[in-house]
Amino acid sequence: MSGRKGVDEDLEVLTICGVGMGTSLIMRMTAEDVFKQLGIRAHVQATDVSSARGMHADMLIGQAMHTEEFVGRGPVVVTVENFIDKNEMTAKILAGLESAGWRAA
Amino acid sequence: MASGVGTATCVSAQVQVPAQDWAAAVRAAARLLSAAGAVSEQYVDRCVEIVREHGPYIVVAPGIALAHARPEDGAHALGLAAVHLAAPVRFGHPSFDPVDVVLAFSSPDRDAHVGLVAALARALTAGLADRLRAAPTDDAATALLREVTDDDR
Repeated sequence: MSGRKGVDEDLEVLTICGVGMGTSLIMRMTAEDVFKQLGIRAHVQATDVSSARGMHADMLIGQAMHTEEFVGRGPVVVTVENFIDKNEMTAKILAGLESAGWRAA
Repeated sequence: MASGVGTATCVSAQVQVPAQDWAAAVRAAARLLSAAGAVSEQYVDRCVEIVREHGPYIVVAPGIALAHARPEDGAHALGLAAVHLAAPVRFGHPSFDPVDVVLAFSSPDRDAHVGLVAALARALTAGLADRLRAAPTDDAATALLREVTDDDR
């Protein structure tokens, strides 16, 4: 690997929901703020579940009803409940980064 | 200061809205968009069908749902609506039921709403739902949404 994810290169992140326009976009805003506060380089895109199946991502963020099918299929899966709670998302993103060994020092 | 897009956004809110179940609540919010001319009647139906198809994920935080459909479902203009329900309803969400504030938006294409939803996310984080719950009249609630669209940037 040429660089460390989130440090030397962007972490590719997808926020997912049913349509890819509303709740996934709200999650994207929250996630972008969280990555900025954590000092982690990330490129966050909002999309719908069916499009996400055909996209590459290092991390996928969504509600359990949408993330379940992606568990164990490559990307780090971060399951959130509250889309506007930065504290919850920060804790869950950090746990996801640690599980993948991508946590920025 | 309001952006060009923000000032053109259709905005409408109602308080003390009766709804017997989640579908009626979603319809009540989406109908405000159709009444404002932002969407067709088909869009109102699609807002309900999308929840049936994809589940109650539109419940974004405790007590708050965000309904919408796709641009091709009959969205003519950017719109933002809200209803504060007279009595809360259950969406079947694992954690955030019951819901008493239902927001709805519409976007004429897949990009026009990005600034609006960003402004909405900021407003929700800053307590918009509680301010809507405390709004005594439709006009007061609509003014709260107008602050959101004025923040669209």
